Parts: sequence; structure tokens; C-alpha cells
Amino acid sequence: MITFENVGMRYGMGTEILQDVSFSLEKGSFHFLTGPSGAGKTTLLKLLYLAHRPSRGLVNFFGKDLATLDRSELPRMRRRIGVVFQDFRLFDHLTAFENVALPLRIKGAKKIQVADHVEELLSWVGLEDRMHAKPATLSGGEKQRVAIARAVINKPDLLVADEPTGNVDPEMSRRLMHLFVELNKIGTTTVVATHDAELVNAINAPVLSLDKGKLSLKRASSQIDERL
Amino acid sequence: MWGRTLQFLPNSKDREGLLPWVIGVMLFLCALSVASAVAIGTGVEQWSRDLASNVTVQVIVADAGERSRQTDAALTLLRATPGVKQATLLASADVMALVSPWLGDMPIDAGLPLPNLIDVTLDGSTQINMQALDERLQATAPAARLDDHQAWLTQILELATVLQLVLTAVVAMVTLSTVAIVIFGCRAGLATHAEPIAIMHLMGAEDSVICRAFDLRYLAHGVKGGIFGIGFAVITLWTVSSMATELGEGLVSSLAPESSMSLWLLSLPLFAAILTMSTARLTVRSALRDMM
Repeated sequence: MITFENVGMRYGMGTEILQDVSFSLEKGSFHFLTGPSGAGKTTLLKLLYLAHRPSRGLVNFFGKDLATLDRSELPRMRRRIGVVFQDFRLFDHLTAFENVALPLRIKGAKKIQVADHVEELLSWVGLEDRMHAKPATLSGGEKQRVAIARAVINKPDLLVADEPTGNVDPEMSRRLMHLFVELNKIGTTTVVATHDAELVNAINAPVLSLDKGKLSLKRASSQIDERL
Repeated sequence: MWGRTLQFLPNSKDREGLLPWVIGVMLFLCALSVASAVAIGTGVEQWSRDLASNVTVQVIVADAGERSRQTDAALTLLRATPGVKQATLLASADVMALVSPWLGDMPIDAGLPLPNLIDVTLDGSTQINMQALDERLQATAPAARLDDHQAWLTQILELATVLQLVLTAVVAMVTLSTVAIVIFGCRAGLATHAEPIAIMHLMGAEDSVICRAFDLRYLAHGVKGGIFGIGFAVITLWTVSSMATELGEGLVSSLAPESSMSLWLLSLPLFAAILTMSTARLTVRSALRDMM
């Protein structure tokens, strides 16, 4: 479904952050993305959620080559990708309900269609009582669940999560991971970037490991470097 | 939230709060300039109309008897000319009153050889060839001089035209300045809201969705500024006009926003709003095209 071949990425005239990165994500797969700080995880995630184009190499999304993809086609492509940011990136002036409804509204969904869907999803992540609260009044875990709900409301083909458990306690961390696993079970291709070795060990999923811009694939979670 | 426009932009009164005021001030200057240009046009037109219905004939000859004879001849000719409604010889006292600002008060029989003045009123319905009339006057009364005020009026019209051009240039400069200010404001707004815009893009929002949010915001700035500017301009024009009317000054009193002027005055806030919104739309669209 998504293929990276010999992808390199540099910002301006700087050094290459990613070097010859190659991997593919099959439909319905679940991958962790790990690596020390500065390894290039964030850059790879940005490429995965189409925030940047690579400096070199081939990237294929849903059967289309990113290099030849017209800018006008990007919005439709991006709607197939859900993103959970480490720092949530919720709109502070909007309620939890309005934040989650945004992707549907962008797609042009009608109010009645949106309402049921958003309420159902917020209930699923355990926020049925906090629908009309603004992010400033939500805890870290609640914000993260709103962010996850916003990322999956469109039933994306690909879900990219950047340190989704970085700002929550271990119990909430397990609950959030359970959400990702549930989403993956219904067919959403999932990539979760994390530093949490315990989390990686808890789920038997392939690990994309980045180090100094180079990517390697580790099939078994037990092979993860203990330093992570 | 539930409208055609997605209100994803947070309020930023601290950064954009001054923009409506700046637009208001610009519109105020614009309104004063346009009102002045219209007033000059109206005033000059009024003067032209008044002067076109009157001409003056002077009979300039030192000998009193000859002056009297030529004056009578000129009066006869003028009264017989089609298109002349009335030809009246000004009394010596009236002529003295006209020159008294320069010569001071003098008795009428001071011996000063003042010309005789004939005030001619035209009926306006018949076009008179002034050059032909002047030639006939010269033939009948060689000392008669016809003054149809054209030389003076031409100078006034030239001055008025220059003033109107200057005021048009002021309006153009104010408009361009407003556009530049909106562009700067819009770029600042884009920088301020870079993150919400990026998130919207990543969620699959098209540029048009983002543009609409800016459109609405800048339309509101334009309307607010327009109402403030035009309100203040109307009060100013009305005050100046009222004070001038009391003094009997025709040109300045025509600054009053009368019915003919009211329409364009009321259309200025709309113009400001459309100008602001269009400028914002072009600026935002151009900036978004440079993003991925």
C-alpha cells in the first residue's frame, strides 16, 4: 500500500536526515517506529503523513508516485491518512466535539451525519462526558484520546502516531495502545513511533528502527535495542 | 462552527485588532478626498452657470459726454440683441462702491473718469456669439469692452481640474496603501496561524477551505473599518458644511453629504470590505500555493 525506495531527505543544504530508506507497509499491517533522538523518526513520519516530499528516492502512496502527484491531489490523499501528534495539536478554541468533527467537515459531511459519528467515536474513546469541553480543560490523556478520535474519524487507510503515549501515565498508555490495536484489527494500517520499549515488547509487531538516518526492520519485538 | 466556513482560526485580536482602525482611517481620508473633489466640481459648475448668464460691458472713455453717448448706443444695441434679457447701466454710486476697496471712499463728483458699467443678463435660451456681439459693439461704441468672464473662468477651471487630479491621486495612493497594509496584515496572520493552517492541510483541507476562513475574517475587518471610517467622514463633512453654510460660503458648504453624494458614501464601506477581502484572498492563495 505504501512503499519507500532509497528515500533520502535533507532540509535545504543541510546533511541528509534520512539515507536510502526502503520499506513497505502492507494493508492492515502494524509497525512500530523506534530510534534514538535525532535518528530521523519525525522526518520519516512527516514523509508518511505527506507534510514533505522526499529529496530523493521513490515514494508510492496508495498506488501513486508522490514525485508525480499534483499538489491539487494531495488533499484527497491526506484524507486517507490519520495523524496523531505527540503534542496533540488540537484547536484550543474548539470543543472536543468540534475538533473531532473537523476532518468530516473538511470532507464536506453534513451536520446530521457528523453528529452521530463524532458522538459515537468520543464514547468509544471514553470521552462521552467531555464532548463540549475545550482542550485547555482536558487532561493529557483526554487530549490524546481526542487527538486519536480526530485522526480516525475518517476511517483512514493509514494511521500515523508520533509518541502517542509520551504524555500519559502507564495505565492510559496501555488503554491508548489498545485503541490502536483495535483500529488495526478493523484494517487500518498503523505506524506508531515510540521510545517506550515496554510498549513495543507488549505488542508483537514488526519494528522499523532508525539510527542515524538509516532504517532497519526488526521482526521480533524482543530484538529491540535495550537503550530504547 | 456549523457554517459553510470552517472557523479553525483562533481569535487574534491582539495582532489583528488594529487593522479595522487602519482601514477606517484610510477610508476616512478617501471619503474626504472624494467629497472635496465632488465639491470642487459642483462649485465650479455652479459658478460657471452663474457667470454664463451674465456679461459686463464697460465703456471706457475720459470725456463724459462721449462716454454717455457711447453708453446709450451700447445699451440700445444690447437691448435689441436676441438672447439678452436685460441690460442695465450701473449707477455711479454702485460703480464707486465697486472701486472703493482700492480707491477708498470718494464723492461721486470727485472728477475721476470712471467707466460706465452695463450689467447684461442673458435669458439662457438663445446662444449668443460673444465675439460677434463684441465686434458689433466696437462698431457702435468703440470705447465699449465686452467681458464674458471667460479668461477668469478658464483659470478657475484649470485650477479646479488640477485640484481634482491631486485629490484623485490621493484616493489612489490611499487605496494602494490600504492594499499594502492588508497584504502585510495578511502575511502576519499567515505566520501567526501557520500551525492551524498546517494541521488543516494535513487533515486534507483544500486551499479554498483555508482561504474562506481568511476571507470571512478580513471581510469583517473591512466592514468594521468601513463603518468607522465612513461614519467619522460623514460627521466631519456635515460639521464643516454646516459651519460654512452659516458663513454663506458656497463652495465649502457643497461638501455636505447630500442625497446624490450619499449613495457613493454608503457604498464606500462595501468597497472597503470587498477590497480588503479580495486582497486577503489573493495574498493567502498565493502563500498557500508555496506550501506543500
